[in-house]
Amino acid sequence: MDWQGQKHAEMLMQIFLVFSAVAAFGAGYLMRDFRLMMLIYAGGVVLTALVTVPNWPYFNRHPLKWLDPSEAEKHPKPQVSNITSSSSSKKKASKNK
Amino acid sequence: MHSAVQRANTVATIAAILLATICAAASFLDAFNSPSLQAHVQVVKINRFRRQLDGNDEVKMTLKMSMDLTSLFTWNTKQVFVFLAAEYETDTNSLNQVSLWDHIVQEKERASFQVKVPTKYPLIDQGTNLRGKKVGLVLHWHIMPISGRMIQGKMPLSNFSLPDSYTTRS
Repeated sequence: MDWQGQKHAEMLMQIFLVFSAVAAFGAGYLMRDFRLMMLIYAGGVVLTALVTVPNWPYFNRHPLKWLDPSEAEKHPKPQVSNITSSSSSKKKASKNK
Repeated sequence: MHSAVQRANTVATIAAILLATICAAASFLDAFNSPSLQAHVQVVKINRFRRQLDGNDEVKMTLKMSMDLTSLFTWNTKQVFVFLAAEYETDTNSLNQVSLWDHIVQEKERASFQVKVPTKYPLIDQGTNLRGKKVGLVLHWHIMPISGRMIQGKMPLSNFSLPDSYTTRS
């Protein structure tokens, strides 16, 4: 999922779950049936998981723009200048510890 | 929220918190239930009134009871435990409570009934104080909810007096 998709998924998750809880409690209270409340709530949780957890294409509408490979070659990653001296200084640091 | 597993974890956590919330709300609403139950009990006869071998008085009797417990049930009730206690006073104890009969009611439809039964448990005293004693019968109930804490209540019913002397087996 891309960033926009994750934000959207989180918002949908919270709305779905709270709505499931409220609907379950309301139905259970009106029908005077505790088991009904549990069933509706369980159904709501499963539905929420199905909608928000998998990586649906709907959540990939704003894909990240990675740098083009040809551009990356023009700007090489900076190398560490003095390899041997840096490694020996690392060894000294570990001995001190 | 980066991986599916993290999202699944978030769903499970929020779902558990909301589940606790709706169960607490269901339990909270129970406090507004004001029950109005009716009950009547009558001692039909004293079956046996004797002194046991180890020195304590013992009474067995037959009771005729009718009660309507339907108003104790809410949608959050699992079962109601009801018992009848004989209460009396002696020189050594200011209050004695002895359970004579109990019953578990699991459905609202079966909460109203009449029975004529011998006492499930005999009335045994700590001593020999029961001759001529005035005994009060009190109906106690414990409402066990599906979620929440247990609610107790009681209602005093009729009184009766035990005979002045031991009876032989009738």
